[in-house]
Amino acid sequence: MSALRFIGTEAPRPDAPDKVAGKAVYIHDLVRPGMLYGKIKFSSFAHARIKSIDTSRAERLPGVRAVITGYNTPEIRIGFIKDNFALKKGKVRQYRDEVAAVAATDPDIAEEAIELIKIEYEELPGVFDPEDALKEGAPLIHETDPRGKHRTDNIVPVPWKFVSGDVEKAKSESAHIAEGYFTTPLIQQSCMGTAGCIAEFDLQNNLLIHTKTQIPFLAQNDFNRALAAMGLKGKNTRVVVPTLGGSFGTGLDTHGYEYISILLAYKTGRPVKIVLNREEEFASLSPRQPTRTWISQGCDREGRLTFRDVRMILDNGAYTSWGATTPSVMMLPISSIYRVPNVFYETKIVYTNNTYCQAMRGYGNPQAAWALECNMDQLAEAAGMDPLDLRLKNKNIPNDITPMGLNITTCGHEQCLNAVAERLEWRKLRGKGAAKARGVGMASLFHVGGSGRVYRSDGTGIIMKLDDFGNVSVIAGGIEMGQGFTSALALASAEALGVTPEKVTVVTGDTATCPWDVGTHASRGAFTACNAAILAAEKAREKIFKLASEHFMPRVHFSLKLRKKKDPSFEMPDLNWERICDPSEFDLKENVLFLKEEPKNPLLRVTLEEILREAHFKEQGTMIVTEAFYDPCNQMLDAATCRGNLSATYIFGAQGAEVEVDVETGEIKILNFVAAHDVGRVLNQQTIKGQIYGGIAQGVGYALSEEYRTSKGRNLNPNFLDYKILSAPDMNFPIHIECIETLDREGPFGAKGVGEPGLVPTAPAIANAVYDAVGVRITDLPITPEKILAALKRNK
Amino acid sequence: MKKVLSFVLNGHEVSAEIESHKMLLQVLREEFQLTGTKEGCGQGECGACTVLVDGIPVDSCIYPSFEVDGKSVTTIEGLLGEGNVLHPIQAAFVAHGGVQCGFCTPGMIMSSKALLDETPMPTVQEVRNALAGNLCRCTGYVQIVDSVLSAAEKIQAEIKQ
Amino acid sequence: MKRFEYYQPRTLDEAFERMGNLKGAGKYVAGGTDVIVRLKQRALKVDALVSLRGIAGLGDIAHNGALSLGGCALFRDIERNEVIARDFPALHQAVSMLANPQVRNVATIGGNLCNAAPSADCAPPLLVMDAVITLEGPRGKRDVPIESFFKGPGATLVEAPEILTGITIPAITPGTGSAFLKMGRVSQDIAKVNAAALVVMDGEVCLKCRLSAGAVAPVPLRLKACEKLVEGRRIDHDLLEEVALTASREVSPITDVRSTDDYRRHIAGVLAKRALGDALKFSTF
Repeated sequence: MSALRFIGTEAPRPDAPDKVAGKAVYIHDLVRPGMLYGKIKFSSFAHARIKSIDTSRAERLPGVRAVITGYNTPEIRIGFIKDNFALKKGKVRQYRDEVAAVAATDPDIAEEAIELIKIEYEELPGVFDPEDALKEGAPLIHETDPRGKHRTDNIVPVPWKFVSGDVEKAKSESAHIAEGYFTTPLIQQSCMGTAGCIAEFDLQNNLLIHTKTQIPFLAQNDFNRALAAMGLKGKNTRVVVPTLGGSFGTGLDTHGYEYISILLAYKTGRPVKIVLNREEEFASLSPRQPTRTWISQGCDREGRLTFRDVRMILDNGAYTSWGATTPSVMMLPISSIYRVPNVFYETKIVYTNNTYCQAMRGYGNPQAAWALECNMDQLAEAAGMDPLDLRLKNKNIPNDITPMGLNITTCGHEQCLNAVAERLEWRKLRGKGAAKARGVGMASLFHVGGSGRVYRSDGTGIIMKLDDFGNVSVIAGGIEMGQGFTSALALASAEALGVTPEKVTVVTGDTATCPWDVGTHASRGAFTACNAAILAAEKAREKIFKLASEHFMPRVHFSLKLRKKKDPSFEMPDLNWERICDPSEFDLKENVLFLKEEPKNPLLRVTLEEILREAHFKEQGTMIVTEAFYDPCNQMLDAATCRGNLSATYIFGAQGAEVEVDVETGEIKILNFVAAHDVGRVLNQQTIKGQIYGGIAQGVGYALSEEYRTSKGRNLNPNFLDYKILSAPDMNFPIHIECIETLDREGPFGAKGVGEPGLVPTAPAIANAVYDAVGVRITDLPITPEKILAALKRNK
Repeated sequence: MKKVLSFVLNGHEVSAEIESHKMLLQVLREEFQLTGTKEGCGQGECGACTVLVDGIPVDSCIYPSFEVDGKSVTTIEGLLGEGNVLHPIQAAFVAHGGVQCGFCTPGMIMSSKALLDETPMPTVQEVRNALAGNLCRCTGYVQIVDSVLSAAEKIQAEIKQ
Repeated sequence: MKRFEYYQPRTLDEAFERMGNLKGAGKYVAGGTDVIVRLKQRALKVDALVSLRGIAGLGDIAHNGALSLGGCALFRDIERNEVIARDFPALHQAVSMLANPQVRNVATIGGNLCNAAPSADCAPPLLVMDAVITLEGPRGKRDVPIESFFKGPGATLVEAPEILTGITIPAITPGTGSAFLKMGRVSQDIAKVNAAALVVMDGEVCLKCRLSAGAVAPVPLRLKACEKLVEGRRIDHDLLEEVALTASREVSPITDVRSTDDYRRHIAGVLAKRALGDALKFSTF
């Protein structure tokens, strides 16, 4: 590949100016003519029968335009296995169950109306611990499955099991074994912009919904099914996505509030907006699943891994989202991080009366990495090895196929481990800070880097449209949610096409105009869209060069004649102006066409826009629009064996922390943090660092401060007063980022996906550093001073 | 109860009849369509709604609108110069990657503005402390702090010229 | 948000009259950072708020040896007051760690006290400084020592329609040092535990000691057993450890979403000890 002009630069984001000026339009800012405000009445119990609902007082309140319940609207089933309903009838299974909703002319009236709805419940015994839910005689959360078949237990019918080799045999032959039990809490995504939508119908009963989603096309599909359930079979949905105030997985499913807003809009004939306030966002969106993990790993005398045995229980909550598929991603590191021949992995997902869960950034990987990487350090200790040496001994290598069938192509795992060790001064500091209660720790990461096929199609479409002025619209199915999607796509499109980035406008977020895309998840946005853009750009270049073969020489002649007119001293070169060039003679760079043979000739140059205009405005003219659909070379996992090459390439990395523990208070201070990631290739220096810094901050929060607390299913901290994400003073330590470029053959310009991995190894790296500092191992996140101090006391 | 409030909004004298339970944030967004000021939490915890009242940053989501009568309010829209020229702080956030999803950005910039008005050349620690009331979930704050420090230098350099 | 009326009296008398007319359905509001939030959370239900922001003089800070703070003195102004930073460092430290800049720019010291959270950050410094609180009502003024001001979580001596109009801190004597410490889950937090210390030193000997801790009992607490231990003695390592142990025994914390009773008990000791050590360093004898 010739020298890259834009890829790898430190380029400002195209969406930044509007955002700094307060001009970007989020769902909160959007107003539609005649719009009403919707509000939802949530359950007052975690598990109860609905005895009666009295909406009469709410209906009489001036300004109220509609009051709906599950009893006066069509039944709309939602969720990954359709075990959830837009509005609940019969019983409620969690505090956030939607029992009724109103639409009113003013948000204050809607709020008042909600308080006037009286619901009588008969409380049922609840179950809030997934292990209790598995016990015989536990209350059933769902008495029947979505098909009406009687259920006898609380196990979600989405099982995950992967077996490779013979773990029992390997256990008996291992020289060293380390066992551990690790847990992770519920985590709230905490997007700064809360969720919301505006639903409205046109006069043909087609639905237009502006909504905060990462999956506009799957959402369209979901909403079309809802329309069918409402008696509007065959009607279509247009999903439009406004600027997103973060998403982090919240937009991977469609939600109750969206369907309620659709029902209210249909009933009132007016646009209905529902935007969650912060308390509702906490209490009624789906957090990251909590996990309980029993793990053991073994190695031989030389420290080579012999087996890995991982059993997990996931608290699903009351209903099932796409989050139930996160074990497919957990399985990647569990089966394949570090080379290990014998693996057993099984996950049970269990219904409880807790809030139902969803995927969050990392899609299960943070939970898996927490257990794996802490247990690696335990194994290193059992084997009497330095944890870095154990990791290096078992490192992943390029061109390897793992027992799960993951085809590792490029792999910078070793470079990442070494980079972290060097920056952290590992050899100097490890094991030597006890006197000052200081320590260093590290952890690795293994994640999808080339999308992840969790849906039948993993594709993404691009339309590339060129206009008379050499501007390029890149119309994409993916979504910008803050991660830098439009920036990466603009740079890649400019680079691949041969124009400058400011000529490129990325258009996204409209199912009526953008080509299909499975969703912006799995760190796939830039990887898939830029690959699609490269294909579309190749097609466009072919067309441009064909047009140039006809118009190039005459155009050069024309402009030289103009020049001669202005400057009679100019000497006209002697060229064959009628020559029809071959398309293969041309190249296009930075908006200018030239002959490959004479790239430096200042006379033989024509701008792209001139050629496009010539082609457009001649008789029987033409314009250039190309499209491409890129579907990566990856596989769905085999349902029975869980084998398959889930991603087109894999991302590796390592992070390390130096910490100091206050042994009197148990407080942890991070002194230094290092992240080395195999990113394939850096597309934009600025945005890639933003992704990694931001991931680390979320990872440090996961490690030290974040916990969505509940008591019998009710959220105790539905606000930032008590749900502690980190602020600027908390992140006051040096962070060094190293991007290792392995130039992946499947990646656009060699790039791999980088959106999620930043937070994956952060928590175990910190936990391992704490262990090095003071010899206590915290196994349940977050690592609070309370836990450290209690452990220090026990150690005494 | 309702009252006619008169105040200076981004340099212009304005007045409007407002209900007593409305917070300044609602007045800005609903009455004056200045939607650049965001509501992130509504409880004075996240700072997305930060505006300057008589030059001092406050959470407009918990600032009773009646208290603004006779005062001067600056919102993110008020920083933009004629012809959509970005204020040096806004420009620095663009240049240094201080923006990702952008939802915290207007509030973050207003806090930065107040800081640089009071402390033209702040230390890293002063920047971090001044932004303690502005939560961001995307950036990890590193590039935000860089943006503010760089804006401080730019502004001082401009003054010297 | 639920509707409410918003009154803006210009004088104390106007405020008393308005509050009297509301017959229990109103509440005073100063900066609003507690009251408005509780209204929004539906933890507080009132028909009307009576704002104290427009009453002249309530926000003043004056120093003539003794320090006088108006009930509506802004944390912002206290934080930036050089005399307070120099002579009353515990108060300065507490105020500069309280909540975040935007909140400090509107929140008032009187509001923080009247809210009467056991964790109120400005309570421990005022306790160790023997502050006196002035309450004014339609029938006149009364002064109460801060120690008797708090009656329980959210409860104080204030009787409607009284207003907390001022706080007086006695002048410091030579050899005085004070300090405040706080532990939260993150840097910007409600205290899990906070503590303040004040010492008056005569050379190596502590003449007077005041210690207090917050979020470890239903009200912000004076640690009197600790104070007794210290007064008349040299403050050395052993004494500090003794103070830590004693402080842990003097408190009666609870477990909540922010921390546990055991941890709070232990940290009360650590912070008391450390605050005392810091106060010693600030001592200007």
